[in-house]
Amino acid sequence: MSNFRDAQSQAHPSKTNTILLGVICVLILILVMQIWLLTTALNVSLEGVETLKWPAFIASTLLFLSGAALLRYLPNPIGQAKKATRAAKTRTLL
Amino acid sequence: MKAPDRPPKPAYEVDFPIERVEAEHVSRREFAKFLCLVSGGMAAGTGWVAVKDRFAPPFKLSGEIHICQTRDVPIGATHPFSLEGTKMPFILVRPSEDEWFAYEQKCTHLSCAVYYSPVSDRIECPCHKGFFDVRSGRVLQGPPPRPLHRLDVVVKGDAIFVRERSHA
Repeated sequence: MSNFRDAQSQAHPSKTNTILLGVICVLILILVMQIWLLTTALNVSLEGVETLKWPAFIASTLLFLSGAALLRYLPNPIGQAKKATRAAKTRTLL
Repeated sequence: MKAPDRPPKPAYEVDFPIERVEAEHVSRREFAKFLCLVSGGMAAGTGWVAVKDRFAPPFKLSGEIHICQTRDVPIGATHPFSLEGTKMPFILVRPSEDEWFAYEQKCTHLSCAVYYSPVSDRIECPCHKGFFDVRSGRVLQGPPPRPLHRLDVVVKGDAIFVRERSHA
């Protein structure tokens, strides 16, 4: 079995760190855009203008979904280590 | 040599095996998840604004409503009134003999009650020094982001009526 991933992780030990910070930065950016969309929708609503509210809602929902999809790529080294330990224990019991 | 027996763990340590520092620690994973939760809240808030406007549109006046007689409002004075179906306060302003204006008495900044100042001939908000043009309701100065909501005033003989604006 290839040990490419292990070798890569040893060569760049701060890789997960960078990914995690990148994800957090993107999520903050998404949040800022959503705040802007909400403020715009409120202003438009209070001005009595009929347009823009639904497009703002759709855009905000899409941004939320993209942020939620991004959570999938959050590195989880502790969880993975626990999972590996559990798997090893199961193998031993079998 | 036999190791000395450890004293048994207190019951609370068995029941709550997580250290307080561990329990209070917020990892970056959790922070990222929290950001996503707030993001969901923002999307829901924007949706609420759109749905509220669609199913509970803002108050619109139908027809002409009698407010008072011309003699009830001296020149340079205002007359507060409210309309059936809404709790919104309004003011009728008479800056000169033949000029009549009606506005919602709520500042568009943070909803403070505005008043007409005959000295400066402007509508003023005392909270954050917002100033509105008495003849159009547009913002002259200060933090309000939008003009005041205006109603049309109709004078029929001595009677004053208001109605929804025919044009924005």
